[in-house]
Amino acid sequence: MDDPAVVVALLLVAAAATTAVAVRDPVRQALVLAVLGLALAVLFTVLQAPDVALSQLAVGSALTPLLLLLSVRKVRRRQKQETKGEPE
Amino acid sequence: MNGWTTAATLTFAGGVGATVWGVATGPLRRRVVAQNLSSALACPGLLLLAQGYGRPAYVDLALVLALLGPVGTLVFARLLAEELAADPPASPWATWCAAGFAAVVVLVLCAATGPGRAMVKLLVTGALLTGGNLVASRALAGGFPGGRRG
Repeated sequence: MDDPAVVVALLLVAAAATTAVAVRDPVRQALVLAVLGLALAVLFTVLQAPDVALSQLAVGSALTPLLLLLSVRKVRRRQKQETKGEPE
Repeated sequence: MNGWTTAATLTFAGGVGATVWGVATGPLRRRVVAQNLSSALACPGLLLLAQGYGRPAYVDLALVLALLGPVGTLVFARLLAEELAADPPASPWATWCAAGFAAVVVLVLCAATGPGRAMVKLLVTGALLTGGNLVASRALAGGFPGGRRG
């Protein structure tokens, strides 16, 4: 813990993770999660675990936001269809 | 702790810290730009860490980030096209600053490593990073109308 880089990476992860919990809108949450994945990758690198950081980068920076945004879009589309079908 | 890791720590504290703040507050357009800048700033930091730890293999991390960071931003640009079309994010100043910072870091590291395969890898990483981020920020600003089918 005496390494400032570790402290900075831990603080970044704590800030990003707290924000990801505090933000309510799923779209904005996906954006925060992308940055959180990046901060976690930096933390793993600073802790000398580059293999873990590699997989974290691959999953966190592109796949997690893609999955979240696709599911948000599907749910919204279904809601639109249901409200369209209701007025009769 | 040496000069390289100090520079990397400052990059993470200042640059990535600012993007965490940017992605946490403000309108959607500012958050998208902050997400794009986070990968543009973390990648030079990872390069500095690789040099500071004396492990050239760590450059792979920056290479993967330079490839996947812009891909992630393009995912947001494509799937949030409807929301972003209402007020398009334009951030030429911040984007060029991040690209310039990445170019400076890559050139300094090239001078430190000297000619060879490692230098080619650094140059490829830098080119991928700056090119990818410029393309991604242009896509966010609505620069490719063909991709706007929502």
